[in-house]
Amino acid sequence: MPASDAMRLSGGAATRLRFPLRRSLGLALGSSEVGLKAAHFRRPWLAAGLLAPQLLILLFFFFIPTYKALSLAFVQVDPFGGTSIFVGLDNFTTLFSSPEYRDSAILTLWFTLVQCVVTLFIAALLAFATDVVIRGRAIYKGVILLPYAIAPAISGVLWAFLFNPTVGPLAHMLHDLGYAWDPNRRPFDALLLVSVAAIWKHVCYDYIFLVAAFLAVPASVIEAAAIDGARPVRRFLTVTLPMAAPTVFFLVVMNFVYGLFETFGIIDTITHGGPAGSTNTLVYKVYQDGFRLLDLGSSAAQSVVLMAIAVLFTVLQFRAVERKVNYQV
Amino acid sequence: MASTYVKSITGLLAAGALFFGATGASAAERVKIEWWYAISGKLGETVQQLIADFNKSQDKYEVVGTFKGNYEETMAAMVAAYRVNQQPAILQSAERGFMTMLNSGAIIPVDQLMAKQGYKVDWNDFIKPVAGFYIVNGKPAALPFNSSTPILWYNADAFKAAGFDAPSNTWQGLEKQLYALKEKKVTDCPMALAGDFQWSLIENYSAINNYPFGTKANGYAGLDTEFVYNKTGVVGQVARLKKWVDDGVLKIAGQGVAPISLYTSGTCATIINSTASHSAVEADAKFKWSAAVMPHEEGVQPKNGTIGGASLWAVKGKSEEVQAGVAAFFNYVAQPAVQEWWSKSTGYVPVTNAAYVKMKQEGYFKDHPTREIAIEQLSRGEPTDNSRGFRFGNHNQSTAILIEEMQAVWTGRKTPQEALDSSVKRGNEILRQYEKLHAGK
Repeated sequence: MPASDAMRLSGGAATRLRFPLRRSLGLALGSSEVGLKAAHFRRPWLAAGLLAPQLLILLFFFFIPTYKALSLAFVQVDPFGGTSIFVGLDNFTTLFSSPEYRDSAILTLWFTLVQCVVTLFIAALLAFATDVVIRGRAIYKGVILLPYAIAPAISGVLWAFLFNPTVGPLAHMLHDLGYAWDPNRRPFDALLLVSVAAIWKHVCYDYIFLVAAFLAVPASVIEAAAIDGARPVRRFLTVTLPMAAPTVFFLVVMNFVYGLFETFGIIDTITHGGPAGSTNTLVYKVYQDGFRLLDLGSSAAQSVVLMAIAVLFTVLQFRAVERKVNYQV
Repeated sequence: MASTYVKSITGLLAAGALFFGATGASAAERVKIEWWYAISGKLGETVQQLIADFNKSQDKYEVVGTFKGNYEETMAAMVAAYRVNQQPAILQSAERGFMTMLNSGAIIPVDQLMAKQGYKVDWNDFIKPVAGFYIVNGKPAALPFNSSTPILWYNADAFKAAGFDAPSNTWQGLEKQLYALKEKKVTDCPMALAGDFQWSLIENYSAINNYPFGTKANGYAGLDTEFVYNKTGVVGQVARLKKWVDDGVLKIAGQGVAPISLYTSGTCATIINSTASHSAVEADAKFKWSAAVMPHEEGVQPKNGTIGGASLWAVKGKSEEVQAGVAAFFNYVAQPAVQEWWSKSTGYVPVTNAAYVKMKQEGYFKDHPTREIAIEQLSRGEPTDNSRGFRFGNHNQSTAILIEEMQAVWTGRKTPQEALDSSVKRGNEILRQYEKLHAGK
C-alpha cells in the first residue's frame, strides 16, 4: 500500500520525465489521451524486466508467506511437522471465543489510535515550530531526528531500564513525586510506557514528512494570508495544514501500519506483552503463540485475521479519505 | 518504504555473505557438529570452554556451539529449522520441553545412538532424581547435561543485622523473617522474584509439599493427564506471594534487569533461584552470601524437589559421520572428570554418582557447602507421584499461560483462585490438543 501511495505522490515527477525518456525506453504515448494511463510499453519484456524486482519481492515476502499462513490456519500441527490434522475452522472459532484474543484486539485498536493521533500532533507541533526556530535550527532538527537512528530493540531496553521500578532512575524520580510507578504490576503503567516509547520513536518520521510538506506550501499563499491579517497560528491552521493534507493522510496510514506491525521490537523488549497480556497487541500475540508457545495453527489463523484487517482497513481508508484529500496542490 | 527496501537489500547481502562463508569453511577436514545451546552469561562461557576442550581432545570432529537464546527461543529455532531440514546435530532442551522433544519424531534416543556407535554408557550411574526424570521405560531419551534445582539464596550480613542466624525452613518462619528485614529497615527489598518463579515457587513448591500438580502421576502415567493445582495448597502459596508483593516484601524485577543481579548487587536480601546461580553469585556478590534448602509448609514432611535444567538431544536427519561425532561428544561429556569440572565451574549438580562421589571424597562440599544443597534437596525423602517430576506435553505453553495468569494476580485483576482456575482450564486445553496430536504415543 505505501508503494502505490508513493507512486501517487511522485506522479508529478513522472509526468515531467516522460517525454525525454520516451524513445530510449520504448514508451508509447496515446495521441487522444493524455496522462499516465495513455502511456504503455511497446516491448513487453522490458516492462516485465522492470517489474520483476518488485514482483520477486512481493513473491517472497508476501505471496509465499500468505500461502504458508493460509495452509496452516486450517490445521492443528505438531510443531515439528510430524502430525497434521485438518480441523476446518476450529482455529478461528477458538480464537474468536477466546477472551484473551478479544482483549488483545481492543488493546491494539486503542494503542494504534492513540499512538497515531499523539504522534501526528507532536510532530505537527514540532514541524510548525521549526519555522519559528531561527537560531540553532540544525541542532533542533538533529535532536528531533535522533531517535530514528536508534534500533527499536536498543531503545526498548533503555526505556525498560530507565523505568524499571527497582533500579530505574526515572522510576525512582516518579516514586519521589509520589506516583507508585510499577509497569510490572500496573497494566496502565506498562501500556503508558510502551506507548510513550512507540511515539518517541515515530515522531521523527512524521516530523520529516511534515517539515517537507510545510516547506512545500508556496510562500506567496502564506504571504497573501499574512497581508490579510492572519497570524502565524491561523495561517498554519487555515493555509499550511490543509495544503499539507495529502501528507497528513499518508502519515495517518503509515502511523497505523507502524502501530499495528512495527511496534513489535519495543513491546518485546519493554514488557514482553505483559503484565497479564496488557500490552499484548495482535502482532505480538501472533509471535508469542507461534514462536514461544509453538501453537502454529492458532498463530497462522491469527495472522490471517490480521492480514484481512490490514487489507480491509487500507481499502476503507483509501475509499473514505481519498475523496476528501486534495492531491492537486 | 525506502527503509523497507534498504532492509531487504541488507538482508540479501547478509544471506549471500553467510552462504559464501559457509562454502569456504566446508573445506576444513574435521567433521562439523552443530550444537545449539540456550544458556548465556558465565554459563555460556563455560559451554564454550567445554567445546574448546573437546575439540582439542581429538582431531576428527569439531563441535560448533551456537547460543540460540533462552530455552523457549532455542526450541522455536529448532522447530523452524527442522521444518526446512536445517536442524543442528545436537540440541540443548530444557526439562519443560522433555515430552515435546520425546514425541517429536525429530530425535534419536540417546541409548540407541551410543549403542550403535559402540560406546558403553552406564545409564544406571545417573543420580536418582536425574534418572527418575530422563529415563523412560528403562531407557534414557536424552543425555542429562545441566541439571539444577532452585535453592534459597540469602544475604548472611542482612540476616545477621536483623538478628537471624539463617533463614527458616518453613514458609511461615521465612515470612516472619522477611517482614522483619523490612520493618527493621535492613533492606527495602527482602526478596526478589526470579524470572522462572513458576518453576521454583509453584512447581517445586508443589512437589516438596507433596501436592499433586496434575492427574496420572503428574503426566508420568499417560497423555490424558489433567492439571489440578487449582485445588491444592498452591492456591494458598499464590495468595501468600500476592500479599508479599503488595507489601513490598517480594519485588518483581521486570524487563531490563536480571532478577539474580538484584541479589548479587545486594539490593535484595534473598532470592529463590537455580543452584546454577553459583557461577554468577561467586563472581559478583560482594557480601557474605549463603544458601539454604527451599522452605516447606509448617507441619509437612518435605519431599524431594524436582529437577530443572536441560539435556542434550541427538537430532535426526544427520549423516552417519556426524552421528558418530555426536556420540563421541556425548561420551566425552558423560566422563566423570568432565562432569566434575562442569559441576564445579557452573553450580549445576553432578549428574552421575561417579562424579558426585569423587567430589565428595575430595572434600569439595566441605569447602563449598552450598554446592551440596541442591543434591540434598533433590534426594530428600522417598519420591512420590507428586514429587518425581512433571511430564506434560507442550509444557512450555501451559507454563507461559501460568505466568500470564500469575501476572493477573500481581496486577490485582484476578484473585489467586480465579487466576489458577483459568490457568488450569487453559492448560488443560493444551494438554487435550497435545493428546489429540500424539494419540498412541
